[in-house]
Amino acid sequence: MKEKTIYEHLRDKGLSRRDFMKLCGTIAGMMGLEFAPPVKALGKLTHPSPTEVVAQALKTKPRLPIIWLEFQDCAGCSEAISRSSSPSLGNLVLNDIAIEYHETLMAAAGFQAEKAKEECMRKYWGKYVLVVEGSPTLADDGIYCTVAGKSNLDLLKEAAAGAAAIIATGNCASFGGIPAARPNPTRACGVADLIKDKPVVNIPGCPAIPEVTTGTILHFLVMGELPKTDHFKRPLPFYGHTIHDHCLRRPFYEAGKFAESFDDEGARQGYCLYKLGCKGPTTYNACAALKWERGLSYPVQSGHPCLGCSEPHFWDGGGFYEGQSAPTIILDKVSTATLVGAGVAVGAALAGVNAVKKSRAKKTLKKAASPETGTEAETKKEA
Amino acid sequence: MDWTEILRFSRGPLLHVAMMIFIVGMSYRLVKVILLGWERDRAANKGSKLWGVILNYLKGLLVLPFIPWVRRTFRNNALTFIAGGLFHLSLFVVLAFGTAHILVWKSLFGISWKSLPTPVVAFFSAAGIISLIVLLINRLTHPVLKLLTKLPIWINWVMVFLPMITGFIMARHLWFRYEVIFSLHLISVSLLLIWIPLGRISHFLFYFFSKTIHGAQAGKRAIMP
Amino acid sequence: MKTQLAINTYLKETGGWVASQLEACTRCGICAEACHFYQALGNPEYAPIWKLEPLRRAYEQRFTVAGKLKLALGLEKKLTDADLEHWSKIVYEACTVCNKCAHVCPMGIELGPLIHEVRAGMAAAGVVPGDLAEATEKQKTIGSPLGVTDEMWRERIDWITDEWEVDIPVDKAGAETLVVFTSIELMKFPDNLAAIAQILNKAGENWTASSKGREVVNFGYFEADEELTKLFMYRVFRAAEELGVKKIVISECGHAYDAFRWTAPNIMKVPKGVEILHISEYIHELWKTGRIKLKEGAFDSETITFHDSCKIQRRGGIIKQPRELLKVLAPTSFKEMTPNKAQAMCCGGGGGVISIKEADANRYAVFKMKLEQLQEIKAQSVCMVCSNCRLQFVDSLAHFNSTVKVHGLAELVAKALV
Repeated sequence: MKEKTIYEHLRDKGLSRRDFMKLCGTIAGMMGLEFAPPVKALGKLTHPSPTEVVAQALKTKPRLPIIWLEFQDCAGCSEAISRSSSPSLGNLVLNDIAIEYHETLMAAAGFQAEKAKEECMRKYWGKYVLVVEGSPTLADDGIYCTVAGKSNLDLLKEAAAGAAAIIATGNCASFGGIPAARPNPTRACGVADLIKDKPVVNIPGCPAIPEVTTGTILHFLVMGELPKTDHFKRPLPFYGHTIHDHCLRRPFYEAGKFAESFDDEGARQGYCLYKLGCKGPTTYNACAALKWERGLSYPVQSGHPCLGCSEPHFWDGGGFYEGQSAPTIILDKVSTATLVGAGVAVGAALAGVNAVKKSRAKKTLKKAASPETGTEAETKKEA
Repeated sequence: MDWTEILRFSRGPLLHVAMMIFIVGMSYRLVKVILLGWERDRAANKGSKLWGVILNYLKGLLVLPFIPWVRRTFRNNALTFIAGGLFHLSLFVVLAFGTAHILVWKSLFGISWKSLPTPVVAFFSAAGIISLIVLLINRLTHPVLKLLTKLPIWINWVMVFLPMITGFIMARHLWFRYEVIFSLHLISVSLLLIWIPLGRISHFLFYFFSKTIHGAQAGKRAIMP
Repeated sequence: MKTQLAINTYLKETGGWVASQLEACTRCGICAEACHFYQALGNPEYAPIWKLEPLRRAYEQRFTVAGKLKLALGLEKKLTDADLEHWSKIVYEACTVCNKCAHVCPMGIELGPLIHEVRAGMAAAGVVPGDLAEATEKQKTIGSPLGVTDEMWRERIDWITDEWEVDIPVDKAGAETLVVFTSIELMKFPDNLAAIAQILNKAGENWTASSKGREVVNFGYFEADEELTKLFMYRVFRAAEELGVKKIVISECGHAYDAFRWTAPNIMKVPKGVEILHISEYIHELWKTGRIKLKEGAFDSETITFHDSCKIQRRGGIIKQPRELLKVLAPTSFKEMTPNKAQAMCCGGGGGVISIKEADANRYAVFKMKLEQLQEIKAQSVCMVCSNCRLQFVDSLAHFNSTVKVHGLAELVAKALV
C-alpha cells in the first residue's frame, strides 16, 4: 500500500485546507526562510512563494521518519523542544509530519522500545533522519555511555548506516559540549567527527533552539536535502549572523555605554553587556531573531551576557563573566615574579660577561697608553 | 584548523607565551643596561636636579611643541612632531580607554575604569593609523631618516602597524568575520610582544632613563631642559 | 689596531648612562633639525644621532644580543679603520659638541656628551684631524695650543701691563683668586685680558695670574683624550694649590669652563674647597655686591646683542648674569637674537672646530645662519663671554664683510666702570 502523504494524513485528522495553508506559511517561517534572503536560501526555487513550496512538498511527500538518539547529554535539547515556543506546532511536527523513535519521549520502554527502534530502522532504512542529542564518547571503546548493553559508538554507527541525513542537536552532539570540557575524561566528541560518510548538520546551542531543530527537519522534508551550512556544518539560515549582529543592545555598544556590573545603573538602563563577559561578537546563533519561550526573550535581552553556547569549546573559552578580549591564560604573581627573576638572572649573568669585557678593555688601554702622557696627571689621580 | 580554534590558540597559549617572552626579555634588557655601571656625579650642583627632571617630563609629555623656543625646531620638523605626538596620544587613548583593552587590563591587574565612547576611541584609532602611515612616508623620503633606518626599524613599523590596523578593523566590524580579525589582532599583538625586547620599541622603558638624565643634567646646570 | 683602541675606549666609557640613552633612541631624526651643521649644509650624516654611530655599533655589537644577531645576519658591519676616518671628519669638523640636539630630542638623549665619548675613541685611536692634534701637542709640550712659551707669556703680560696701564699680579703669594686666561685672549684679544684685570683691581680683589697654570684652554678636552684633559687641568690645579687660592676664575673660554666646572671632579682629584667660577658670573657677583659700579647706559647708542656660548650658557647655566649686566650697560638698545639663552645657536667655532683648517667651509656656512640672526635684529655690535666664539665671530664677520662689532663682556664692563 502506498504511504499516505502528509497532507492526506492531516486531512484525515480533520485539518481544513485553509488551516493547511496557514500551517505551510508557518513552516516556511520555521525553516528560517523568512530571515535569509529568499533567493540565496531557496537557490533553485525563486518564483513560487515559500508557502507554496511547502504546500507542494506536504501534498506529495509521506511523513518523515525520525530516529532520535541520546548519548552523553542532559536531555535539555529534548526538554526544550517539548516546551518550544509553539507546543501545538512542535507536536504537529513530531507527531503528524514526522514519525519518530525517541527513547525519552516515547511511551514504550525497555525491550519494547528497542524493538520499536529496530522496526523503524528496518522499515525506513536509507530514508530516516537520525537526530543525535549528546556527545558520543571515544574513550575505552565508548563504554562510558551504553544503552541496552551496546556502546554509544556501536549504536551511533548502526543508526547512521541507514540514515538519509544526520542532525546533531545541541552543543554536545555538535562539538562534544560540556562532556568535552577540559580534561574531557570520556573523550567526548561531535557526531561529525565520527560519521564521515553521511550528510551531517550541527544545531549547536545549549540547548539548541527548538525552532532551529524542527526548522532543519522541515527543511529536509520540504527540500529533500539539508540546508546549506557554514564551516561548522551549522545551517546558514540560522547561524549566518552573530548574536552581536542582531543584538538589541548594539546601539549602546556603538555608543560605548556599558553595564559595569549586574546591578548598576547601566544594567538597569539596558546598556551593552560586553564588559560583563558577553561572547556575542563571536557567537553565531539565531537567539536574537527567534528568541525563546514564544519569542519572549533571550539571554542578552534578559540582562545576561551571551555565553557563546553555539561555539566549540564554549565551556573552556575563559570565564563566562570575563571580558572576551581578556587573555584566557593569566600569569599569576608567582610565575610573573619567576619570569622577571629569570630575565634578571640571565641579564645579570650577561652583564657579568660585559663587565669582564669592560675591565679587559680598560687594561689594554692602559697598556697601550704611552707612559709619557699619563705621568704628570696619573700620579695625582685618585687611587 | 578553523578560525575559532586559531582564536582559542591565540587568546590562550600564544598570547601567554608572548607575554612570558616579553616579561623575561624586558627585565633582561633592563638589568643588562643598569648593570653596566653608573658613575657618581661629583660636580657641585648649580641648580636643583629634581626640578630639572620634573620640568623635563612636563616638557616632554605636555607642552614640547608649544614652548616658544622649541618652535623653531618644531617648524623644521612639524610633521615628525605632530604625527609622532598624535600617534602616541592615539595609542594611549586606545589602549587605556578602549573597552576591549580595559577588559584586558582588568583581567591582568584587576582594576577597571570607564571607557571612552566608542566613536572617540575609533577616531583616535584612525588618527593613530594615519599618523603611522604619514611617519612611514616621512621615513621613506627624509634624507636623514633614510640614512638612519635599517631593517629592524622597518620591522618595527610593521610590527606596530599590524595590531593597530587589525584592531581598528575588528572594533569597526569591517570586512572580516569577527573571530578571524580577532585572531589576526591577537597574533599580531603576540608578535609585537615578542619583538619588543629585541628592538627599539623598548624605548618606552629607556625613555625614563634618558629623560631623567637630561632633566638632571639641565637641573644641575640651572637651565631649562 | 686603531679600531681596537677606539672600541676599547667605547667599551670602557659605556656605562649605564651611555647604554640607556643609546637604547632610548627611536631613530626619529628630530635632532638633525637642531644641528646647525645639518641645517647649514644639509648633509644627512651631520645628524647628531648619526655621529654616535661608532659608539652605538661598539656597544651593540659587543654588549647586546640584538647587536650580535645583526652582525651574524650581515645587517651590520664591524667597525673598521676606514669607518673611524670617516666619522672622525664628522665628529670633529661638523660638531661643536654644543648639545642643542639634546634639547629637542623627544627622549632627552644627551647627545653632546655622547659625541664627546665618540671623540674619546677617535683620540685613543689617534684618528684626530691634523690641525687639532698639532695644537694639542703644542699645549702638551709648550704649554699653549698657540705655542706661547713661558717667556712669550711673561713678555706679553708685561706688554699688556704697559699698554693698558693695568696691574696684572703674577704668582702673587697669598692671593685669594687665581684667574686663568686663554692664550687666545693673550695673543688676539689682549683688550679683554686687560679689561678683566681692570675690573678685578677696581673691585679691590686680591687676585693673581699664575705662570705655571697659565693656560685655561683645554685641547685635550676638544680631542676628548682623557689623560691630556686631566694633564692640562692638573697644571692649573697644581698652581692653585701652590698659591693656596680660594677661587679659580676661568676667563672667557667655554670648553675650559665646562671641563673645570663639570668634568674635573668626575675624572681627577681637584683641590678641596676651591670654587670654580666663570669670569662673567664673577663680574656679575662683583657688580651685584656693589664692589664695582657701572655707568648706566654706557653703550646705549647702538643696537647690541648677546651671543650665548654653548658651554657657558646652555651647558653652564650662566644665562641671567650677562643679561643683567647688559641691561645696565645698554638698557634700551639691548636686543635678543632668536633663538637665545639655552636654545641659542652655536657660533660654529667651538669644540675645536675653529682650529681645524678643513672645517673652515663648515664653520662659515654655520656662521651665515648666525649672521642672519644678527641681521634680523639689525645688531650693530654683539657681545659674548667666550674668546673662542669671539675668534669665530671676528674671523667670520670679516669673511662675510660684515660691519658688526664684536666685544667681550669684560671689555664692555671695564669701559663702563665708574
